[in-house]
Amino acid sequence: MARPDAIPPDLEEPPEDVEVRVPATPRAVVTMRTVAADLAARAEFTLDAVADLRMAVDEACSSLVSLARPDTKLTCTFILDEERMTVTATVSTFGPERLPTDSFGWRVLTTLADDVRMLSATGDRNGDPFRLTLRLSVRRLGTVLS
Amino acid sequence: MTASDTGTAPAAQPERRERKGSRGEYDHLMPKLAEHASLPPGSPQRLRLRDELVRGHLPVAQHIARRFSRRGEPEEDLEQVATLGLINAVDRYDPERGTDFLSYAVPTITGEVRRHFRDQAWSMRVPRRLKDLNVTLSSAMGQMSQTLGRAPTAAELAEHLSLPKEDVLEALEASNAYRSGSLDEMLVDDPDSGTVSDLLGEADAALEKVEYQQSLAPLLAALPQRERTIIMLRFFKNMTQSQIAAEVGISQMHVSRLLARTLMQLRDGLGENAR
Repeated sequence: MARPDAIPPDLEEPPEDVEVRVPATPRAVVTMRTVAADLAARAEFTLDAVADLRMAVDEACSSLVSLARPDTKLTCTFILDEERMTVTATVSTFGPERLPTDSFGWRVLTTLADDVRMLSATGDRNGDPFRLTLRLSVRRLGTVLS
Repeated sequence: MTASDTGTAPAAQPERRERKGSRGEYDHLMPKLAEHASLPPGSPQRLRLRDELVRGHLPVAQHIARRFSRRGEPEEDLEQVATLGLINAVDRYDPERGTDFLSYAVPTITGEVRRHFRDQAWSMRVPRRLKDLNVTLSSAMGQMSQTLGRAPTAAELAEHLSLPKEDVLEALEASNAYRSGSLDEMLVDDPDSGTVSDLLGEADAALEKVEYQQSLAPLLAALPQRERTIIMLRFFKNMTQSQIAAEVGISQMHVSRLLARTLMQLRDGLGENAR
């Protein structure tokens, strides 16, 4: 039986761009927040920032999942750069859904993350579904305090 | 809501453990169910019947609790949750609808137990080794936050403790699986101390600017004081978890767990209100 090649020790760097797709259901959200937190902890985020990211991903994904069409997927992309992780979370919706931005949930998101954006897309005319996306980023050093 | 709250040993109900007979064993309770439903809520007679009905059907709740007993939750907890489901079923059952009580009660009780598991979603079993490591990490984090002026990273913690980074990552991940209450719940904290009260005053002012205050305020008010304090300081005072930890006198990891759990509760509460 052939042994797999040993992983070179200097492969510590996480992949720069990770995409995860899970069923758009509340119970799958834990997978997303766990992946996000693990990537960040490995990428030398402060543990405050890791915890904030975890909660932000949880909040974003939970809100999106509540609007998702049944039997569709929740897709998250995690992109790391020097300073931050940017998370893009997307679900399919029945119509041009939006999340309220005057809610407590939004307050939570915008406290935990920077640059929280909501993007919605109507599919093209081939009958593609509507999509709702949240994009947010969390800085490696956490919230910069005034 | 465990039996240990009062320091007494968990009370089993041995007299109820006898083998169950046919489905007909609850038949004698049926007239009482109808009578219970017909009485005005709050009347002493209704309360007495309710008590009798819950006791009479207790084996049903225990049976359901046992079905879930190998999934890492203490059995007494499950029985309590199932009993709660049974009480709800007794309270809400309407014989006029034509379904028999058990067909109504079993899904209600099962639903309550499932909900309990969902609420405890992160409370998987954690190996002893990681629990011990967690205590070490938790106190090292506090010290390092002071020296660094910010929370450490996982790599910094590993270096500080001369541990492999992988072990630290694993233990940190496990700390999210902890049920709050297992580790640091016992630590003393005093949300009424001077500085915290001052900070809360400022946070309250920020809260007043948020929309949906009507639905949020009662939920916040219903929280235990420590949880409320932490939510206010994080989201309305913009303090970091490490700062809150220092202010409230508990570990950052504990703050983190309490925040995550409380947010989930608030989300559930707000979701129900919005419907």
